[in-house]
This record gives sequence, C-alpha cells and structure tokens, in this order.
Amino acid sequence: MSESIAIRARDIGKGFTVGKVTTRVIEGLHVDVLAGELTLLSGPSGCGKSTLLAILSGLERPDAGSVMALGEPVWALDRRALQRFRLHHIGFVFQGFNLFPALDAVEQVELPLSYLDLGAAETRRRAEAALDEVGLAHRRHMRPAELSGGEKQRVAIARALAKRPQLLFADEPTSALDSISGQTVIDILHRAARAHGTMVLCASHDPRLIAHADRVLRMEDGRVLTDEHHPHPPIGLDVSR
Amino acid sequence: MVALARKTLVYEWRRYLPASLAVAFSGMLLLVQLALVFGIFDSAAVYINASRGQIWAGYPGTQSIDLGRSIPRDAEVHLLMNPQVAQVEPFQWVNGDWRGSRALGSVSVFVSGIDPAATGLVFARAIPPALRARLNEPGAIIVDRADLPKLGIAVGQSGILNGQRVYLVGTTGGLRALGGVNIVTSLATAERLNAGGDLRPAYYVARLRDPARAEAVAAQLDPHGRLRRYAVWTAPTLAARTVHYWLFETGAGLGVVFMSLVVFLVGTVITSQTLMGAVAGSISEYATLNALGASHRALSRVVMEQAGWVGVAGLAGGGILSALVLALAHSQDVPVGITLPGIAACATLVMGITMLSGMLAVRTLRNADPARLLR
Repeated sequence: MSESIAIRARDIGKGFTVGKVTTRVIEGLHVDVLAGELTLLSGPSGCGKSTLLAILSGLERPDAGSVMALGEPVWALDRRALQRFRLHHIGFVFQGFNLFPALDAVEQVELPLSYLDLGAAETRRRAEAALDEVGLAHRRHMRPAELSGGEKQRVAIARALAKRPQLLFADEPTSALDSISGQTVIDILHRAARAHGTMVLCASHDPRLIAHADRVLRMEDGRVLTDEHHPHPPIGLDVSR
Repeated sequence: MVALARKTLVYEWRRYLPASLAVAFSGMLLLVQLALVFGIFDSAAVYINASRGQIWAGYPGTQSIDLGRSIPRDAEVHLLMNPQVAQVEPFQWVNGDWRGSRALGSVSVFVSGIDPAATGLVFARAIPPALRARLNEPGAIIVDRADLPKLGIAVGQSGILNGQRVYLVGTTGGLRALGGVNIVTSLATAERLNAGGDLRPAYYVARLRDPARAEAVAAQLDPHGRLRRYAVWTAPTLAARTVHYWLFETGAGLGVVFMSLVVFLVGTVITSQTLMGAVAGSISEYATLNALGASHRALSRVVMEQAGWVGVAGLAGGGILSALVLALAHSQDVPVGITLPGIAACATLVMGITMLSGMLAVRTLRNADPARLLR
C-alpha cells in the first residue's frame, strides 16, 4: 500500500447563501487523502461530506483554502485546464447511475474514453477490460433497462475506472443498492485502490461500508471529528489482475 | 467514437418525434405555400407560358400581360422585316361579360383572340391543333375544364358573351388564370365580341428562326426612344414582369414572406421545446460526462448533431408530405409551381429551424453542472 499523498487540502471553507441566510457548510478543514487506499467520508446528512467531495474533485470551488491534487493546485487552474485535469486523472461514481438509456454497457464505458483520443481499438479494449474487472463482461451488450441496480452501478464504476484515473470519487455509491450488490460495489472500489494504487474517496452514510474502508473520516458540522485507520487483511477477491 | 446522438435518437425516437413532425410540417407548409403562390401567379402569365414564340410586342411599359392596350398594326410589319423573325401572329385581348345559365348571373371573363391555324403560336402548348381548328367556326369558344362550373355550361352548349351568342366547342387544361375565366376564340370572333372597341390587337407574338437569339433580337426590335408606340420583350421577360407585378404590386409577395416568418417561428418554438425537453431529460447523464472530462463544447456537438438528424428526418417527412399534397393539388387542377430554387430555399429555411432550435437547446446544457450531482 502506497503512503503517497494524492490530495492535500488546507483551510477549506465553503458556505451557501439561500436568500439572505448564509450557511457555513465547511470551516477551516484540513485533510490529506492517500493513494492506494479506500477512504470513507462518513457522517450524517448535511454534515458537508458531499460538498467536500465536490471541492476535492474540482467540481465546486471553495470560498477559502487550497487543494493540491497530484501536485496540481486544482483551484488555480482555469476552467479548461481543470476540465482536462478531470479528464485525465479523475473518475466519478454517483448515487444515481446516470447511464445513457440508449447505450449498451460497452458503449457507456467507451463514451468518456472517446474524449481521450485513444483510437477505436484501444478504447474498445479498455472498455472490455473495465467491464471484465467489475464482473460484467457477459452483460456488455445490455442496455441500462436490462440491468439490475447493482449491475448499473458496476457499469458506472467501469466507466470511471476505464480511464485509469489516479483519483476516484464516489458519492453514496451503495445507498440505492441491496446489501449483496452494495458489498460487490464496495469490494470493487476497494480492489481498484489496492490493485491500481488509486486514491478512492467515498462519501457515504451507509454504515455497511465502514468495515471495508482502509480509513474512515467522520464528519459533522463541516469538520472532521475522527480519523481512523483500519488495518485491513487483503480482500477476499482476486487482485492479481 | 460512440454515436451517442444517433443512438439516442433511434432508442428514444418517441421523444424526438414531435420535433421531426414540427420540422416536417413546417417544411411542407413552406413549400406548399410557395408552390401555390408561384402556381397562382404563374397562371397570370399563362398566355405567355402556354404559347410558342420567343418575342412579344405590346404597349410600352406594360407591367402585366392583362394590362395590355392596343398597339399599331405596323408593329407586325416592323417585326416581319427582321430576317430572324419566321412568323408573326396577333393576339387580341378583350374584356368580356358572360351570361350562361340564369342562376349564375354574369361572370367577368378575359377573351383571348388567337389565330386558329394549326401553326398558330398563342396557346399552342395548351390547345391541340384539332381542337384549335374548331375555333374557325363563328362564335366557337374553348375554356379550361376547371372553369366550367363558373360558366354553367357543358361542351356543345351556348352562352351569351358581350351580348353575342357563343358555343363551347371543347375544353382543355392549363388555361386557368388569375382573377377571371379565360375564354379562347378566333381573332375573327374576338373582333365581333369587341364591337365598338379598339380593333387593333394588344400584342404581336413572333417566332424566331433561332430561339437562342431571342435576347439579341428583342433588343434589336425594340423601338427605343420616348416616342415609341410599342415595346418588344422576350417571352420570359414579359412573363417575369407579369409574375413580379402580381407578386409585389398586389402585396402577395409580402404575404408569402410574412407567412414564412410565422411558419419559421412556430416550427422553431415547437422543435426547440422538444429538443430542450430531451436535453433536460438527460441532464444528469450530460453532467456526469462533463464531470468525467467531456467539455461543454463536446456535449453541445451532441445536441447539435441530434438537431441535425431531427432536421434531416423532418426534411424527408416534409418532402413526402409536400409531394402528396402537391400531387393532390395537381390532380384537382390547382395551379402549383415548384422550382429548384424554391425547394432549396424551403430546405434551407427548414434546416435553419432545426439549427436555431438546436442552439436554443444547447443553452439548456448550462444546467449540466456536475456539482449538482453531489448535492
């Protein structure tokens, strides 16, 4: 397991204004997230974990503070450079699977890859490999309507992994899934961290995930309350791939 | 490259159908409107278009063929003196008042007096020689079959025209005109119907030995100068003057432009609303793609491509619809005029509708903010 710091965030502050009321969601937050680990941001709804995820992943600009991701000052980049940074280094898995209804599983995975200009053959090869990695090779020509919720989320994970990102963000990836599907999804994310050295940062209030995380950051009222490392035995799935 | 735009269109065709239908009906409305207007106003020049002969001589400054006045008979001699001219024929124009059956009252008609000879030029394209020869009978008339109900008679029956009894010897097609019924008679009958009026013809029509030289010969034949008593045009020039006069002096041209604007607006509103709805329905997917690094420009291209395909489908549908409507119109003797530039103009407007709608739908993509997926 690598100890290198993938993301370093300092003095992060963020507030939202609704009408005349400004609510501070995050205040003076410091955090380092390591590569090769599955880090879980947990806490009750409204504790700011999703907002922190958005700030660290370059989707939401903080009011204060700095984010260094893979050595790049994320919020000093202009819009286009930030987009390019996301394209090359960041994968996302959202709670809603957000798959295009018209595309089959392989095409869902190929779609974001196509913006990397890899060529048709390499794009197809990577997409097939990513689907294989999430155990859906046999479902690759099915459309979302023909897949179960867990399978859809696995396609969404394959879509995020196929780019081979160093940073993978997941927002409530299991909350719409039954326990078995949720277990499968968390195993896949965990394996991605171990096998590829990817930083996986997962925001969730799903207590089932805590046991599977390498590290758990408990948040409340916009602050990190506790920071626990779980020394994990190797996960029970084949990681030799 | 995954063909997201096309696959989505095929898979969710029901969602895009209203847009394609709006485009198809817009295209059909534009084209049929244009075809009808050109058909109707082309019929103002039916006297020219249904005749052979490349040169027309008429009263100077005549803006439309139905506004002709008598010209001196020496114009005929003048035309014949040009070695290029092979044949000259007078064309008499008489305004008439028709009384057929008592129930229909009187009808305002245009009487065209033509040479009934088999080699005659005027209306040579509309009246076959055998029928034309029957105009030699005194009082014989020919009308367009579509005008029969207005006149209230059948072939073989008679009616009263300018107080004289005339006989319908036959009908033909392609004689319908704007503003009244065309009645074709011989020059002799026309003269009798015009008793008391100016007996000199309104036009002389000339056939050239070499039709290709019409422009040059018309320029030679035109008696330039302020005191000229007649002017000479090529047939297409006089036809164009006539159509132009009817289109613009009557305000119909502006009407066409106005109607086209309305169709364009309605088509754009419906098409853009449908496309915007489709974009809004996939906004989370677009936002996810944006989060994964696809630029807004790349997403806009997807929407514009969809608009383009909607337009192509609409064009095809509009083409079929237009063909059906125009075929129906043609079968009912409704004058329709379709020209390639007209079709091209309508197709351009239709693609304009879809591209503008696409651009409006692209604005909806602004809502594809991936940060919203995390709230």
